[in-house]
Amino acid sequence: MKVSRRVLVKTLLQGVGAALVLRGRGGTASANPIEGEAARSSGPLTVRVSRPFDAETPVREFLSRLTSNERFFVRSHFGPPAAEAVRPESWRLTVKGLVKDELNLSLKELQQLDTVTLTAVLQCSGNGRAHHRPKVPGVQWERGAVGNAEWTGVRLRDVLQRAGVKPQGVHVQFQGADRPALATVPLFTRSIPLAKALHPDTLLAYEMNGRPLPLLHGAPLRVITPGWMAESCMKWLTEISVRTDETPGYYMQQAYRIPETAVRLSSGLPGSAMVPVEQMPVKSLIAAPAEGDTVRPGPVTVQGVAWAGEMEVAKVEVSCDDGKTWEQARLLGDGQPYAWRQWQYVWNARTVGPTAILCRATDAQGQEQPMTSPWNPGGFLWNGWDRLSVTVAA
Amino acid sequence: MNRSITHETSGRVLAALLCALLGSVVITAAQEDDRETIQPAQARQALTLIHARCAVCHTTDLIVQQRLPADRWTVTIEKMMHWGADLSKEEAAAVLKFVTARYHSGAPDQLPSIEEELAMIARAVGPRPGLEGPVTGEASRGAGLYAHNCQACHGEGAVGGAGPKLARNTILKNEGAFWETVLHGRGPMPAWGAVLSHQEIADIHAWLASR
Repeated sequence: MKVSRRVLVKTLLQGVGAALVLRGRGGTASANPIEGEAARSSGPLTVRVSRPFDAETPVREFLSRLTSNERFFVRSHFGPPAAEAVRPESWRLTVKGLVKDELNLSLKELQQLDTVTLTAVLQCSGNGRAHHRPKVPGVQWERGAVGNAEWTGVRLRDVLQRAGVKPQGVHVQFQGADRPALATVPLFTRSIPLAKALHPDTLLAYEMNGRPLPLLHGAPLRVITPGWMAESCMKWLTEISVRTDETPGYYMQQAYRIPETAVRLSSGLPGSAMVPVEQMPVKSLIAAPAEGDTVRPGPVTVQGVAWAGEMEVAKVEVSCDDGKTWEQARLLGDGQPYAWRQWQYVWNARTVGPTAILCRATDAQGQEQPMTSPWNPGGFLWNGWDRLSVTVAA
Repeated sequence: MNRSITHETSGRVLAALLCALLGSVVITAAQEDDRETIQPAQARQALTLIHARCAVCHTTDLIVQQRLPADRWTVTIEKMMHWGADLSKEEAAAVLKFVTARYHSGAPDQLPSIEEELAMIARAVGPRPGLEGPVTGEASRGAGLYAHNCQACHGEGAVGGAGPKLARNTILKNEGAFWETVLHGRGPMPAWGAVLSHQEIADIHAWLASR
C-alpha cells in the first residue's frame, strides 16, 4: 500500500501533537480522532467563516426537537449591524412603497398587533453545498446549517393591512440594518411575492424559543417565511417596501437562483431559466449514532429529524446496510406544519464490521428525498440521502 | 532539580526542531498537490494580497475552503474587484494564478490557512524586506497607509466601524499593546505582521496619534 506524503505528514503531526500533550499534562491523552474536519469547532458551533461569522450546528444537537438559540446555525453576508442600529428603544420599522399609508413603527407599537407563535425549520439554502459535485463556490456547509425553533411575532399580513397595499403591489421587499464593510458591495436586499407575504403564518418575529431574538439571529425583528429557505427570512429588519416587481440587484437576481429544471425535474423547461430559491424540499438527517462511531452488536437506536417545508413528512426510511435494504422508521409526536419531525429506528446490529447508515424521507405528496440532489451552479437546496459510516464491534 | 531543567530544555529543543522540520515538510506537501509550480516569492505576494485585500470583507478561511476550476475562480475574482476589492490588474493576476494552482477541484480537503502559509514562507525564506529594527513613524505617510489597510473596518478618520474607534483610543499610548495587536491580531482583527512592514506600522501609529 502506498502511503502518500501528505498522510504521513498528517500522522506525524498528530503524533507530535499527542506527544506534546502527553508531556505537558503528564497523563494519558489521545490524538483527536476526527478526520476530514476542515473547520474549527468553536464552542457549540462549527465555524466555517470567522468574519462574517458563519457557523453550523453539530448534528448531534438534532437529538432535541428544538434547537437552542446558542446552538443555532449563524449565517449572514456582512455580520450583525452595530448594536446602536438595532437597539430596541430607538429601532423603527418603516413600511413604504405601494401602500396607502406609510408606517413608522416602534417595537412596542408593533407588539400591539396579534401575537402568533409557531415552530418552524430555518435552513440556509446552501446547507449541504459541500456535497455537490463538481464543487461550487460559497461557504462549504455540510449538514448543520439548519435548525428548528419556536418563533413568536406578529403577522406580516397584519402590518401590510394596516398600511394598505395598493393594487399594483405584488412583491414585498425587505431590508435589514446590516451593512457591508465597503460601500461598493451591494446591500443584502430581498423580496417575496405578495401571496407569501400575506400568508397568515408569515411572521415578523421578535422572539426565538421564548427569548428576545439574539443579535446574531436578527434582533430586534426578523422575517420568518415558514417552509421557505432562510434567505427570505431577513434579519435586523428595518424596512419593508411594496413593489410591482421582484427586487433588482445581486442578492435577488443573481444569487439564490437555481435552474427551474432543478426545482421541477419534469418541467421540460430549458435548464437556463433561473428561478428564485423558495420552498424547502423534503429532507432528513441522522443525529445518532455519529459519523465514525463503533457500536456494539445488538439493538442500536438510530434517530434523527425530517422536514418537508410547507408539507408534512409522510415517512422516513432507514438503511443500515449501505442502501441494500430499507426499513421504515417510527415518526415521533404529531406532525406539525413547518416544524421538523423526530424519528427513531431500532437497528439490530448483527454483522460485525464497517457499514453505512442511510436515511431518506418522503413528504405527503409522495416526493422522495433523492440519493443526490440535482447539481446547480450555486450549490443550493441539497437534500440527498444522509449517510454516515459506523463499525459494528466484534 | 538540574536534571528536570535539562529534561525540560531538551524537550523544548526537540519540539522546536520537530516543528521546523514539519513546517518545511508541510510546504512541500501543499506544493505537491498544486496544479502548477508557484515560486515562494510569487506565493508570498499572492498570500500577502489575499490577507490584506480580501480580508477587508471576509476572513481568508472562506477562500481556503474553496475547490474550484479556473473559470469559476476567474469569475469570483472579477466579482470581488467589481465590488471594490483593491487589486490592480497585475495583483489580481497574481492572486488568480495562486488560487487556481492551490485551491483547484482536485486539491486535498485539508490545506494550511493563509496565515499559516505566510508564517511557513517567512520561516523558510526569511522575513519580508522592511522588517527591521526600531523605526520612527511619519504621520504624513501613515494617512494613505491607514486608508488602504485599516479604514474599511476602523472607519474614515479612524472614528470606528466594524472595528473599534482608533482616534484618541488609549491603545495608542500603550505601544506594546498596539504593536502586539497589529502584528499578531486580536479577536476578529487579522494579524498584519506579514503584510505591513515595521516602518509602515509606525507610520500608521504616528498618523493615528496625530488625530
